[in-house]
Amino acid sequence: MKSTYFYKGLLALSIIGLASCKPTIDTVAPVKGNADFTRYIALGNSLTAGFADGGLYLEGQKNSYPEMIAAQMKSVGGGSFSTPFFPDAQFNGSGYLKLTALTNGVPTIAKETSNLAIRAQVGGVNLFTRYTGNIENFGVPGIKLIHANIQGYGTLNNYFERLLTDATVGTTTYMDFVTAKPWTFFSCWLGNNDILSYASSGAAADAPTPKATFSGAYSAVITKLTSKGAKGVVATIPDVTNIAYFRTVTLKTLLAAINATPAGAAVKDIYIQPGTGAARAATAEDLFTLPLSSDNVMGKPNGLGIPYGLDPRNPVESKYVLDKAEIAVVNDYVAAYNTSIKSIASANNLAVMDAYALLNEYAAGKAINGIPVSAAFIQGNMFSLDGIHLTPLGYAITANGFIKAINAKYGSSIPIVDVTRYRGVKFP
Amino acid sequence: MKTILLSFLLIIPVLGFSQSFQVNLQGQKQTAMGGAGAGLALDEAAVFFNPGAVSFLKQNGVQAGAHAIFLKTAFNETGSPLTEYNKNKVPTPFAAYAVFGSPEGRLRFGIGAYTPFGGAMHWNEDWTGKYTVTSLDLRAIYIQPTISLKITDNIGIGGGLVYALGHVDLKKAIPYTNNGQQTTAQLKGDSKDFGWNAGIFIKTVSGVSVGVTHRSQVTAKVENGEANFFNPPASVVPLLPTKFNATLPLPATSTVGFGFYPSAKTTIALDVNWVWWHTYKDLGFYYDNGTQTVSPRNYHDAATFRAGIQNETTSFLTLRAGVGYALSPVGEGYVTPEVPDANRLLLSAGIGLKPSERFNIDFSFLYENVKSRTETNIETNLSGTFKTVAYIPGMALSYKF
Repeated sequence: MKSTYFYKGLLALSIIGLASCKPTIDTVAPVKGNADFTRYIALGNSLTAGFADGGLYLEGQKNSYPEMIAAQMKSVGGGSFSTPFFPDAQFNGSGYLKLTALTNGVPTIAKETSNLAIRAQVGGVNLFTRYTGNIENFGVPGIKLIHANIQGYGTLNNYFERLLTDATVGTTTYMDFVTAKPWTFFSCWLGNNDILSYASSGAAADAPTPKATFSGAYSAVITKLTSKGAKGVVATIPDVTNIAYFRTVTLKTLLAAINATPAGAAVKDIYIQPGTGAARAATAEDLFTLPLSSDNVMGKPNGLGIPYGLDPRNPVESKYVLDKAEIAVVNDYVAAYNTSIKSIASANNLAVMDAYALLNEYAAGKAINGIPVSAAFIQGNMFSLDGIHLTPLGYAITANGFIKAINAKYGSSIPIVDVTRYRGVKFP
Repeated sequence: MKTILLSFLLIIPVLGFSQSFQVNLQGQKQTAMGGAGAGLALDEAAVFFNPGAVSFLKQNGVQAGAHAIFLKTAFNETGSPLTEYNKNKVPTPFAAYAVFGSPEGRLRFGIGAYTPFGGAMHWNEDWTGKYTVTSLDLRAIYIQPTISLKITDNIGIGGGLVYALGHVDLKKAIPYTNNGQQTTAQLKGDSKDFGWNAGIFIKTVSGVSVGVTHRSQVTAKVENGEANFFNPPASVVPLLPTKFNATLPLPATSTVGFGFYPSAKTTIALDVNWVWWHTYKDLGFYYDNGTQTVSPRNYHDAATFRAGIQNETTSFLTLRAGVGYALSPVGEGYVTPEVPDANRLLLSAGIGLKPSERFNIDFSFLYENVKSRTETNIETNLSGTFKTVAYIPGMALSYKF
């Protein structure tokens, strides 16, 4: 054999070899462990439904964390999973907020009103297009834990109403509806609205659910969910005061905006009406709500010519302020609820997704796979335009929180969600 | 809002290959001998390996060679059953040298052009780490005119001025979409900087030869590099920068090398390199809109151990083999997908063919096995396991005169 053939052959062989010899990494094979994911049901409120940007719409529904978890469960024996999607032609559902412009970095936010799924209006309340298919994602925006066993709750909540029929709307309880068909695994993230509704209204409406009532109601829900031997995961209540809704409009930004106007250059204080007591100057320890900015009331003179928020005689209304004392109340209730949730979960040997800890960790500012995440409004990538509900990326982070909690408890290895597939706030 | 928006846009890391982004492929004979050669007066590549040995070369000559780096990296995100691979892009670092002057005299001259730093890492545009990096092309070409003086029959010194031409092209996804299309950023720039290379070569009375060399750090400064954005949302465009400045230290390397000659036909080389990586503390990009992103690196100095042997089997054929072990300068928490570095084992082999007294062909093959490393990056929190192997064939032609 001529040496040139030898070298040519060697060269050809080595090129083939080089192209194919990829390194391998031993990965964990998906296994279900000692849980059964055949029929996974998800209980919860707006966060579970995929609510975002102040509305429930198809894109948000498709990016709900239960949808993500269920998709991942498929590799470990998970069955089909249905979320009560709005019809394709009515994909904007309830309507939602969208960012339409950034002018010098200042956002303009407008309401999406096309392709809504509104079938009628009754007493000023929208009734949405009914959904009649299978349901595994039982997230109902607005529902509180204490609503779970109210008969005829469908007459009080239009998001629940759309899942029912004329015959059942006045009689069914949420828990009966959810448990009508057999289930093998559940997630439960109820309880946020038992305190959030109070907090988001500046503590001016909707009292928190009493702690003992919460604990009893939670126990009842978990007893029912575990009554047929199903395993599950429960989530704690997030730190309500650490969301973009309360961290965007601050004393500093309000003063800066007023000081930037010719008439307001000398203004040093913003006056607020606290929950109790006389109007007073706001401090950095009081939190303002996001609507204080969007409602555009600051500095507007009243009938007596006193500018709104700049004088104790025309203070920022209580509904826009969670004052220092109210924050303490909110924090106390959240802590008590979470203690109940954890102890009831422990007594029933359930996995716990500590949403309080997880969302605080990201709210404080933490990158995930190179994506910077924080509680900052719009640019924080975590909170949608309502400042309360999450972006698809935020929901993906919680989905992984659930998956990790389930895997740790049940010895399963459900694959995590690739968070980089999900967006933050959509820019125009 | 403007500054806040940008601060999350451009946390852009950098760069890499072969003990991080150092590339040790400057001569085919030396590559085949595990990359050792500072203690030898082997061939024209001494311009790089030890300028002090250039005056001990028996002949003048010119050589040019190139390698092809087949870099295979796998990544498995913690908690995911999927393994992702980098794309096949083959960088071809080259080296060319010429040595001239009178072989009988004490003073010799040389010139070299070689690529001591570089990297080419290309991932799929939608991979898990796309927001940390999707592709990196980095190269530094050093051009080094060299003088070498034989002080005595046993001691030579030499040195060269290094003119370093750098080029960087880095791409990553940024967390925006525009009409469903991912937004990506590209930072591209060139640098021109100076450094030096010096060495001492000693033939001891016992027959063992010793070399000590130092190549200086080159601080590559990219000024007015281009910051390009593809598919950005229109509302964000006014906030984006167009230019950037950045500085990347290409670290100094000190080497002690030994040559042993068990027979007239056999040469053994041992080298220890000490790479002064500690100057690579962070990677900062400074943009023309007043924003900046500074990414911590905190590299530490690291050594590489190399051993090689060559045997002139016949007048036509020389066989070579080598082994090396490189310690990674990248500390825990600082591993990035553009430089998924870890300690690595080097195995090499090569043949030299001599069709005529003047004309030589050398082939080398280097295999690098980078240890598997499971890390969570402290800046990006990208968490997973990297595993890399590299196959590096090379060839050089030389002509003696």
